[in-house]
Amino acid sequence: MPPSSHIAAVLLVGINRPSLESQLLRHGYTPVSASDMASIAAVEEPYALMLINEDLFNGNSVDFERMYFLNGAAPAAVLIADSSKIGPSLMKLLTEGTLDWIHASDIDAGLISSRIDRMVVCSRLNSHFRGLQQDLREKAHLQEEIDLRDHILDHERGLNANIAGSITSGLLIIDLNGCVIMLNDNVRALLKLSAGEYIGSSYSKALRGKMRAIVEDFLKRVRHGPMHHEIKKISVDRMVIEIALYKMRDYHQNVNGVLMLINDITEQENTTQQLYRAEKLATMGTMLSGIAHELRNPLAIISARAQMALVKESWDRDWMVKNYQSIEAQTYRCATIINNLLDFTRYRATQMALHNLDGILDETLTYVEYQNSFDSITIEKQYQPDLVIYGDRSRFVQMFLNIISNASDAMNGKGNLTLRTRSEGKGEVIVEINDSGSGIDPSIKNNVFDPFFTTKEPGKGTGLGLAVVYKIIHESGGEVWFTSEPGNTTFFIKLPTGMNRV
Amino acid sequence: MNEKILLVDDEADFLDVLGEFLSDEGYCTGRAHNAQEALAAMEQESFHLLLSDINMPGMKGFELIKEARRRYPFLKSALITAYDVRDYINMAKDFDIGNIITKTTPFNFEEVRLLVRNIITEEIFGLDHYVKSVIRSVAVSSSSAIETIIQDVVGSMPTLRHQRKFRQALNEIIINAVYYGAKQERGDRKDAWPIDVELASDEIVTVSWGADDEKIGVSVMDQKGLLKKKDVLFWLERNTTKGDDGLSKGLLDDHGKGMFITRESIDRFIVNIKPGNKTEIVMLNYKEGLYDGYRPLWIQEI
Repeated sequence: MPPSSHIAAVLLVGINRPSLESQLLRHGYTPVSASDMASIAAVEEPYALMLINEDLFNGNSVDFERMYFLNGAAPAAVLIADSSKIGPSLMKLLTEGTLDWIHASDIDAGLISSRIDRMVVCSRLNSHFRGLQQDLREKAHLQEEIDLRDHILDHERGLNANIAGSITSGLLIIDLNGCVIMLNDNVRALLKLSAGEYIGSSYSKALRGKMRAIVEDFLKRVRHGPMHHEIKKISVDRMVIEIALYKMRDYHQNVNGVLMLINDITEQENTTQQLYRAEKLATMGTMLSGIAHELRNPLAIISARAQMALVKESWDRDWMVKNYQSIEAQTYRCATIINNLLDFTRYRATQMALHNLDGILDETLTYVEYQNSFDSITIEKQYQPDLVIYGDRSRFVQMFLNIISNASDAMNGKGNLTLRTRSEGKGEVIVEINDSGSGIDPSIKNNVFDPFFTTKEPGKGTGLGLAVVYKIIHESGGEVWFTSEPGNTTFFIKLPTGMNRV
Repeated sequence: MNEKILLVDDEADFLDVLGEFLSDEGYCTGRAHNAQEALAAMEQESFHLLLSDINMPGMKGFELIKEARRRYPFLKSALITAYDVRDYINMAKDFDIGNIITKTTPFNFEEVRLLVRNIITEEIFGLDHYVKSVIRSVAVSSSSAIETIIQDVVGSMPTLRHQRKFRQALNEIIINAVYYGAKQERGDRKDAWPIDVELASDEIVTVSWGADDEKIGVSVMDQKGLLKKKDVLFWLERNTTKGDDGLSKGLLDDHGKGMFITRESIDRFIVNIKPGNKTEIVMLNYKEGLYDGYRPLWIQEI
């Protein structure tokens, strides 16, 4: 009988029976061999049925389930047994997942071809069934996952509500259309909102005045442009409110709304203001004693001139003019000294104006130069002439005074202090204040501008000096930085000239 | 006279008026606006006295005097300042400077005249230099007489300001003159000083007092000249300079405070010393409101 066209491959494991192979070939099956169970994995050809020599097991059980699982929808196994009876070990193997068994004698009798056919069909059905089973298993798994996600989602919903309820800030979230998505009780309390539903409505129902304008502006800029976050301070009903706005993104990093934290920082602001005022007072103390000292010179001159005039027996005109001009000049000087102090102490809104930079630095020096600690300090001025800066004069003086006082402390009363000014083009000037003092330890270089950070002994420094410097410079639209090594520390202060305002 | 004085001050106006005054007084005055000008001027001609401001741009008054003394060992020198002399006591001690004149308001020409004259002539002893009329002079020959003398001094000055403080200062100075100046008891053994001491004729302490239109004055003089300018500066410095703990260095010293307290409690505290010969302490108190400002440092050893 000529060989039939190919139906499927049959794997023979540990079977060496030429008659079986020839029968299979005749029926259109291609026999493939593997010497033992371990070499099954190396068989590359897909096979529809596996025939296994019972002897391979020697009565040991084999984990067919595991085998099927590992091989996916693997073909069923059929045992070739020598005995004609189902003994206990054969029964055990059959119940563990073997599809069928064939007596060796049947092979020899050439009686197996139709059984092979049935078994291949059966095996394919089996595979299909296993596939279904697998699908079912996966679906069950999916269901579990869905349950778990539901659980997490529930948890997160609860967590969100908890966060919104627990934080002491007002929390307000809106989408890009300005529709309120979340609003916690703090927002209601802070903004004294009337009872009612705000979620789903426009933010303008909850926010009024300056706050509404801030959000409107932020929203506009968030829709286009790279705006990420913004922190604003506004005063509302005698409260200072800080509103922090953050761009909110969805899972895919698309911007989908704005998150706002709203805080009442009135108390904090008051404390900060008080501290800065205290620092200002401390500065004023320095200035006041400087002023008292500064007044003594012109007053002594005025007194001396007047006394000279009183005892002079005859005056010539030149002498008289010189004498009175001197008195006039010295009184003017006294007035300037007092005006400077008044300018500094007067509590008033910042008064912005253009100032001559040399003038401000020289004025600052007059408050410290008299001090004992400056006796052995050589002051060198390297001013580029005619530079101006824009801002509040008294604050500039306070700022320079703090830096120069620190420089003098660092020098411990002996060394060189150099003040250098130069134009930086583009409407900016740079003031460099260099001292030959002990320098700033690298370990604290990130802290020097922090409020309350001080290297001085308790009671000697407020720790606000450089914090105030930082605040004043930044409020003036400038920058401050420094380089330091022992014996050479320079503070760089960049300030706007404000020339474009003129 | 015609002694030459070099004035140094960065306050041009002050330099001008002080120069005019000292010229009117008969001195020749040179003027410099800073230390460099002063050193250059001294190379051109020699001066009897260098009178310099302390706080000037560049080299300060103390360094200028140090440098000038190095170049001209016989040059006399004094400082002048508008600022608080107490802040300069430590420098005065380090630079061995006994005289710092203060720019008071009203400006005290009389004091400047006197100080300059004292430094140049070295005729420093005797209350008549300091007040126009001396009321009385008495010799203290026994410690038991001290209290009576103090009564007499205070009793003859009906307009005396701050009487209690003045009394206390007077008491301190006379007791020191008797025990430390005359008897040479140790200052640090005050509690062991005998209550009653008699002074021999070469130990007698003289107390004089007087007054003029502006002030009253008392002089206490011994015949030993034991006190040293360095000691006075040392004790004043101990009590004006603050230590690392923020308290004055001399806080726990067992003596030396009396001198500081005395200087603080009266308007002018003048120490005149001729080593091995005599020590005179002159105390002046001005009438109300005169020459407010800072007290000069006025210690002269000849």
